[in-house]
Amino acid sequence: MQGKRRSRGNAAILAPMYLFTVIFLIGPFVYMIVLSFLTRAETWGIVNTFTLRNYQKLLEPVYLHSFGESIRLAVYVTALVVLIGYPFGYFMAKLPPKARGGLLLVVMVPFYTSSLMRLYGWIIIFRANGLFDRLLMVLHLTDAPLKLLYTYPAVVVGMVYALLPFMMLSVYSSVEKMDWQLVEAARDMGAPPAKAFLTITLPLSLPGLMTGVTLTFVPSMGLFFVADILGGNKIVLIGNVIQEQLMKVHDWPFAAALSVILMLMMSLTVWLYRRVTGVSEMEGFV
Amino acid sequence: MKKSLALLLALALCVSLLAGCGSAKTAEQPSVTQPAAEGNEAEPATEEQKAPAAAGTLNLYTWADMFDPEVLAGFEEETGIRINYVNFDYDETMLAKLEAAKGGDYDLVIADDYIIETVIAEGLAQKLDREKISNFSNINPIYQGQFYDPTDEYTVPYGSGVQTIVYDPALVDKEITGYADLWDESFADSIAITANYRVMIGMALKVLGYSYNTNNLDELQEAAELMYKLAPNIRLIKDDFVQDDLISGEVNTAVMYTSQVTIAKITKPSLAVVYPKEGIGFGIMGMFIPSQAPNADAAHAFIDYILRPEVSARSYEYLGYYCTNQAADALISDEYKEFLVLPAEFRAEDMEMIENISAEAAEKQADIWAQFKTLCGQ
Amino acid sequence: MRKRTGISNLYLLFITVMMYLPIVIVMIYSLNESRISSVWSGTSLRWYEALMRDRTVGTAIINSLVLGVLSSLAAAVIGTLGAIGTVRSRFRGRGIMAYLATLPMMTPEIILGMLFLAFFSLLGLPFGMTTLVISHTAFCIPYVFMQVRARLAGMDHSFEEAARDLGAGRARVFFDITLSLIFPAILSGMLLSFAMSFDDVIISVLVTGVNVNTLPILIYTRLKTGITPEINALCTLMFLATLALFLLSHLAGRLADRRQHGKPHPAPAAGGPANV
Repeated sequence: MQGKRRSRGNAAILAPMYLFTVIFLIGPFVYMIVLSFLTRAETWGIVNTFTLRNYQKLLEPVYLHSFGESIRLAVYVTALVVLIGYPFGYFMAKLPPKARGGLLLVVMVPFYTSSLMRLYGWIIIFRANGLFDRLLMVLHLTDAPLKLLYTYPAVVVGMVYALLPFMMLSVYSSVEKMDWQLVEAARDMGAPPAKAFLTITLPLSLPGLMTGVTLTFVPSMGLFFVADILGGNKIVLIGNVIQEQLMKVHDWPFAAALSVILMLMMSLTVWLYRRVTGVSEMEGFV
Repeated sequence: MKKSLALLLALALCVSLLAGCGSAKTAEQPSVTQPAAEGNEAEPATEEQKAPAAAGTLNLYTWADMFDPEVLAGFEEETGIRINYVNFDYDETMLAKLEAAKGGDYDLVIADDYIIETVIAEGLAQKLDREKISNFSNINPIYQGQFYDPTDEYTVPYGSGVQTIVYDPALVDKEITGYADLWDESFADSIAITANYRVMIGMALKVLGYSYNTNNLDELQEAAELMYKLAPNIRLIKDDFVQDDLISGEVNTAVMYTSQVTIAKITKPSLAVVYPKEGIGFGIMGMFIPSQAPNADAAHAFIDYILRPEVSARSYEYLGYYCTNQAADALISDEYKEFLVLPAEFRAEDMEMIENISAEAAEKQADIWAQFKTLCGQ
Repeated sequence: MRKRTGISNLYLLFITVMMYLPIVIVMIYSLNESRISSVWSGTSLRWYEALMRDRTVGTAIINSLVLGVLSSLAAAVIGTLGAIGTVRSRFRGRGIMAYLATLPMMTPEIILGMLFLAFFSLLGLPFGMTTLVISHTAFCIPYVFMQVRARLAGMDHSFEEAARDLGAGRARVFFDITLSLIFPAILSGMLLSFAMSFDDVIISVLVTGVNVNTLPILIYTRLKTGITPEINALCTLMFLATLALFLLSHLAGRLADRRQHGKPHPAPAAGGPANV
């Protein structure tokens, strides 16, 4: 009796989120799916006639290519972010408490700074005859401007830079609360450091890694302004296509169809990742 | 831990609340100072008489940085109307918002020509009351009677621009006279173009001798083939700050808008400016009042204010686009004159505006553009 | 052993320096006299002066702050209750609820923006602060939700049980014990939400209306005329303000802890992980 009442009380607690989610999340998503089957009006707007055109159009090589390109870039970026961010979060968590607190502060501050500002900083660095070029020339490594800006690597650097803090902080929060006695026990039993790391530390920090990967992979498919600003608009990610269809071509039904497919791909990736790593829950981040 | 967080949050809250109070105060300020300003000068006195009808707030909706802040402040001081300056990124964002608001919410909008055609067709703009715009006759007639508003009932032009090729003669051996030169192999990976696909595909159409506004899919296909051949020469596609890249040497040639040409030439006078021989692509930005504007009186007063020669001259020097107010031409300082007044050699028959095209042709252009960009990235 | 910490410290230092490099460069260039960022024509404060004269900037900052505070507060209430509900209740749909609650985090911003724009138009909701707060709340909920849920999952329930055994009512237990235990998680979720909201361009530009120009919108919409140096100055000031706020809260937190415990306490910085 008591149990049943409690359960009902808890269900009532869920009501605000339940209502909000149904109205302002499921509602729009359902509308998007509907929209993806509607027809674009001749001048502006949408006509309520059913069509499959938007999905057929997706199969054109141009758009398939940009899906492929987006996945490729997202994979590169995520891999780099893991490689750079995991050790950072790990080392940070192993610092003495006082230094750890200070460093956490230092890492959080850029996070609260305008991302556009940080990107413009990279332009100044990468520009022809910019700081990086001059440095290389002073060191006599090169003798002419390298033309680094508006290239694929520049986009990768910008994305990694923008998304790195998510990984650092996720891994940090996972490693920081880990039970180090397990690692010590393994070491006491004669396991070499590498083995102790692989068999104990890494699996225990997987939830944090999972959060980091999700928070890196998902945005990297959609962060169109990084590709615009640092890639000179030449790298066409799926986010750029959606943005352009939405804002310049104003073909909303097609933009909706692209979004539906992108969402399906995202959900599939996250699901696969969970299946493979066996981690079902994302960890509280930061 | 808990405390420090709570403190931070409390601080943020206080700051925003304080700031909120501050803004409320500044909102009231103009109306407080208004009586003091009254009668100081003879000319604004007539404005003051109009002010009661037009007082309140003017919701001005356009791109950021379209006006010298002091021009806006001058209007507020004179009329007691507070300007609420709201920005959009693309014309299409504006149209979507205006549709959603059913022509309400905003009092005055400044946007590009082609989108205004749609706005008027959708019934989202109201006819101007010429009685309230005493300076209407200052408008340069070249910019009137255009396709988007043939009878000038809805709009007043605010700035105009042409697509221009600018190059750095120190880095380019060839003399450029028109778009066709951009296909030359010597420009490999060194040209910047704007991100407006109508303008860029239009460039290929012009080289082929077709109209910007063709609805003929075969002509568009020809233009597509030509565009794809241009891809290896393109280093950069973007709308903003292209002048920076030209000046830093990131690119040696750029197709750009008039405001950027102005900044580029003033910073680096050695740059060469080319009006392409294939024809001039021409665009006008227009001011219009939405159909259900809450404060149309204020909007009229603002249009009239901007059309004053001295206010216009100042605005265009800030904006960097061609001045559409002929009474202001004479007041523009010499430093800016050559950039802000339409070159005399331009003839109407060489110029063509980009207009709305059929949905089929528009879709074709969007596809060509996506394909072109992909090729540029390879 | 010592050598290894040396290497790891060097690594931390290097990455930290790289993280700050672009910010420092923008700060230096905000002092550039030239209107064009690729030309250095001397040091000057003219862009700061221009900034001070520009009233639209002040309004935009205020709007951004109000929006950030409102949406992070709303997200805190909804997200916290949701997290408690999904962890404690046994009803069948809670798995789906948990998935839905984190969905906005897995949705690229441009899609969220489009969704909200289309949906609000469909509902005929007037665009403005309301639509902004709704959409920002939607993408902030996951951050609070995940923080609080992680905290609840790792929580020791013995306090609550003890309190209940001593005869405290459910409401009493919730407010006196549960809430105070998860409070740090709620706060850090809110802070993160605030940061996300304060920096959001894509969704805001699509769902804003008359009267509401936020700071990121202002920065992003300077496209057409392209005048940057003022923006560099603005970003520099914002950065310094953030830094000052963080340092202040850090110091205050330490001071408070010291007073409480009578000795220095290893208090992690503001915005620290939920579990500390």
